Amino acid sequence: MKLRIATLALLVGTALAVSGAAAQDKKALAFVVNGASDFWKLAEAGVKKAQEELPNYDLQFKYPEQAAAAVQQRLMDDLVAAGVSAIMVSAVDPKSSTDALNKVGAQVPLFTTDSDAPDTNRIAYIGSSNTDAGKQAGEIALKALPDGGKCIGFVGLPGADNARERIEGMKSVIAGSKVELIDVRGDDIDQTRAKRNVEDALAANPDINCMVGFYSYNPPRIYEVLKESGKLGQVIIVAFDEDPITLGGVREGTIAGTVVQDPYEWGLQGMKLMAKYLEGDKSVVPENKLIIVPTKMIDKSNVDTFEAELKARIGG
Amino acid sequence: MAVPFLTMTGISKQYPGVRALDGVSLAVAPGEVIGLVGENGAGKSTLMKILGGVVEPSGGAIDIDGERADRLSVNRSMRAGIAFVHQELNLFDNLSVAANIFIGREPLRGGPLRLIDQAALNRQAAPLLKQLGADFGPEASVASLSLAQMQLVEIAKALSLQARLVIMDEPTSSLTASETERLLSVVRRLKADGVSTIFISHRLAEVEHIADRVVVLRDGRTVAELEGAAITPATMIRHMIGRELKTLYRPPAAPPGEPIVELRDVRTSHRPEQTITLSIRRGEILGLAGLVGSGRTELARAVFGLDALVGGEIRIGGVPAALASPRQAIDSGVYLVPEDRKRSGLILDFPVRDNVTLANLAACARLGMIDAAAEEAAATDQRGKLDIRCASTAVKAGSLSGGNQQKVVLAKWLSMAPRVLIFDEPTRGIDVGAKGEIYRLMRDLSDNGAGILMISSDMEEVIGVSDRVAVMHEGRISGFLERSQLSEQNILSLAVGRTN
Amino acid sequence: MINRKDLWLLVLILVVGAVVAIINPRFLSPINLSNTANLIGLFGIFAVAQAFVIISGGIELSVGSIIALLGVIFIDLIANGTVNSGVGIVIVVLIGCLIGFVHGFLIAKVGLQPFVVTLCGLLIYRGVARYYTDEATAGFPFGASFPTLEWLTAGRFYGVPHSLIAFAIITIVMAVVLHRSVFGRYLYAVGKNEEAARYSGIHTSRIIIAAYVICCGLTAVAAIFIAMYTRSISPASHGNFYELYAIAAAVLGGCSLRGGEGSILGVVLGTVLLQVLQNLVNLLGIPSSLNFAVMGSVILIGVLADQEFSRRRIAGATRRASRGAEAAVQAAGANRG
Repeated sequence: MKLRIATLALLVGTALAVSGAAAQDKKALAFVVNGASDFWKLAEAGVKKAQEELPNYDLQFKYPEQAAAAVQQRLMDDLVAAGVSAIMVSAVDPKSSTDALNKVGAQVPLFTTDSDAPDTNRIAYIGSSNTDAGKQAGEIALKALPDGGKCIGFVGLPGADNARERIEGMKSVIAGSKVELIDVRGDDIDQTRAKRNVEDALAANPDINCMVGFYSYNPPRIYEVLKESGKLGQVIIVAFDEDPITLGGVREGTIAGTVVQDPYEWGLQGMKLMAKYLEGDKSVVPENKLIIVPTKMIDKSNVDTFEAELKARIGG
Repeated sequence: MAVPFLTMTGISKQYPGVRALDGVSLAVAPGEVIGLVGENGAGKSTLMKILGGVVEPSGGAIDIDGERADRLSVNRSMRAGIAFVHQELNLFDNLSVAANIFIGREPLRGGPLRLIDQAALNRQAAPLLKQLGADFGPEASVASLSLAQMQLVEIAKALSLQARLVIMDEPTSSLTASETERLLSVVRRLKADGVSTIFISHRLAEVEHIADRVVVLRDGRTVAELEGAAITPATMIRHMIGRELKTLYRPPAAPPGEPIVELRDVRTSHRPEQTITLSIRRGEILGLAGLVGSGRTELARAVFGLDALVGGEIRIGGVPAALASPRQAIDSGVYLVPEDRKRSGLILDFPVRDNVTLANLAACARLGMIDAAAEEAAATDQRGKLDIRCASTAVKAGSLSGGNQQKVVLAKWLSMAPRVLIFDEPTRGIDVGAKGEIYRLMRDLSDNGAGILMISSDMEEVIGVSDRVAVMHEGRISGFLERSQLSEQNILSLAVGRTN
Repeated sequence: MINRKDLWLLVLILVVGAVVAIINPRFLSPINLSNTANLIGLFGIFAVAQAFVIISGGIELSVGSIIALLGVIFIDLIANGTVNSGVGIVIVVLIGCLIGFVHGFLIAKVGLQPFVVTLCGLLIYRGVARYYTDEATAGFPFGASFPTLEWLTAGRFYGVPHSLIAFAIITIVMAVVLHRSVFGRYLYAVGKNEEAARYSGIHTSRIIIAAYVICCGLTAVAAIFIAMYTRSISPASHGNFYELYAIAAAVLGGCSLRGGEGSILGVVLGTVLLQVLQNLVNLLGIPSSLNFAVMGSVILIGVLADQEFSRRRIAGATRRASRGAEAAVQAAGANRG
């Protein structure tokens, strides 16, 4: 037993020593995401692209084992201990992690992406404005429902900042119109429940005109349920993000439009920004410390261009 | 001898239907070593339980330091300095020696935090261990100790309670010869310090060796008090028995036939250094006697395929048999009626029917599906044959009386043709009437050509039922006795290791 | 046939259903019933599977992770056209059985605790699933269509979802296996008293291994149905906590976690109740954050009420028995007089 523990300790020690040695050669920059999803594959592609342009840096892309604040925090602590020079993070829970993020920020330059943590000592935020994205979704709905109608929203975690901002953004645009968002159902990122929520919503509200999928996997579930119940085309779908099913629906015309972010640019620009900052160029950070990469509305007219670009980025 | 500090006078204990103790008197003087001997059921444990305050006597008086009482409470007994070293050790093997000695009475520090003062704990335990000549320290983990060393911990615990009388119940039954010698020297040390010992043992040689005085109990009475030269194994045995045996014996219908099961140089994991050779013949009841821990149950387990043999071979019907699992044993016609009926013999929550058919369910099934009607018929058939008294075969086995439960265990096997049946303590906890029925069933089985091995600690049963008896002592067969040679004296002599 | 425990559960389901139907009559609309039936089918299959292991005296905690891993493998095999769907189903079910065999072997032969073995499984399969897709979501491309497979798994027959039909068939087969076969009897025996079962010549380790093989094999079937329902699987979250749905359904249905007790019918009713509860949260507009709280509370109430009822039953029986005894004594006294 003791022997086995000793062997294990030796192995772990060796592994740490090796990775530590590698890290010492170049300055390391880390991009830490909030959990596993396809969305981050694009950011990863952007980081890869940035690596080509920044040969003197070692760029790392890190997924926490779980989408939990504590797990992410430990990952960042480990990165700091391993000697990374700067971290860009999409915090799992920015509101309640202020102290923890400040701790990291006190040791290395810290940037936020995806979800901002303005109350911390982070250098800058680079990413979309979820409120703006929500407003764009509202515009899609207004355009698709000129005579007004009732919408139900579906989301993973209704309480999360990105969800709330998107919902608020949408509500601010449709306020005063005949389009209303009567309810938003949460599913805790369980796809079975996500689909069931759509089914139940349809059963409980047969007169619904429009469904909004706020998280990337929600529109495909809406699409499937409407397809199975033969209501595709009767109920308008407003989508977020670029799931293949979503884009297919947009091209087909059964999804009115989708609002996409540009995580590729976050990864690419974010990494270059951090490198410049480390090299002493503080001018890259604007006054308000916000670098907004605008979100785009994709509808039938521009979906092919968008998809081609997407393929090129992930493929490249 | 000094003046006794503890005197029990005319102690009786009446249980419903049984008089466990009948006017027993016992006095203990400081530093005295008293041997307490008697057969199983003679009343030794009851007497000791009264002394521990666990059992309330029905009559008699107990004087401690001149203070008289009808009975003792556990507390009073402890205050009087009476301590027990039990056969089953009551130690926490995840704790250290010192922690075990002072369990529940740990020296504390840190005021309201109530932390255990580890240093004080070890400091206080050390002299106790030294007094006993222990070869391990107070910090040692109990898990790392041998059985003999654990006993010393128990004794140290007794001493830490200012014990004046230590009661040892079969303390040497699991010890090797040298460990036994060491324990006996501990008893002598205690004696030198003025601590008395009551030494309960079946090992009469040890009793002879260590006791100043021997009290022999039989059927709840003191039948002899021996002192000095009168203490010899022969006299003790003579006093332990000497009651008239009821004749339970019914001779076999025909003389025994050829051997059905032969054990050749069998070695079990219990005592792998010993070999066992014996055979069970067709139509006979072979009794297997011996003290608790002599290896009888282990032998039964090996023959029934529960434990792998360490060496030797078992032949069934003249052919070497592979008995790697109970299923193989059952398929060879070897069945076991286990000692612990409630744990190993029956599924108490199952209906009588399901218990009866459990071992032979294939006979009531087609293509893996149970034929409910066939199953009910099989169960009802056995219920009738064995006269199992229950409202229906659907009642839970656990709701039956001990005797009827035992019949359900037996019914499980009787629907198949038994060649060899091993009974381990077949009538333990069963009332007298049902006992007779079980014996009758055993004889019917043997008359129908089965061989029967009956393990029993009940002398009356061994002598009353067996055609032949094998006696075990410390993992080996110390001798065989034919029907004509059967007597308690002969069996007991072999059981305590005196080869005939 | 139906025992009191199951009857009580049925009553509970009817009461809950009636209350929901009164508040929102759409609960009884064909489309809602059909949707709920579909989910009962999906969750019921692996709940029945779990019951086998629980009756054997064990527990299977890796259900959710197995559903994620096998779902990912299945979609990957089918979507990329590596194999046709029939072969894909066979492969996935075989992997499920293999996982079950390994669990059973470690528990019955090596002697590890079920909780430990399957907890490790929970972690391992989840990790492997995430590694398999490199954290990406496994899904079908847009417009991908597998008519036969989709008809088989997600189709409806006069509004009755095929998942429910599959569940019904599996339930009937498994009920026969559990309540009528020799294997089923042995399984109860092993769960109740493994030692007595061994002393009766039952190969207890084979029975235990078989229980885990059945459990994981059926879970694989459920994994296919669920994968075809969501049509996309993010391996980090797919099937999270599903083992707890299964265990909850089994416990509601009268299975004892100590083993040896429970009926298939009970597990079916337990599953129905759980899915009706999920449905009512959505239909009654209860905030979705309260979903688990509603479920937990109703299970607790169900188990408490069952406990109380059985205690009263026993007390009642004892009273009747003692009254009977008194009557007998009085009768005897009268005879003497």
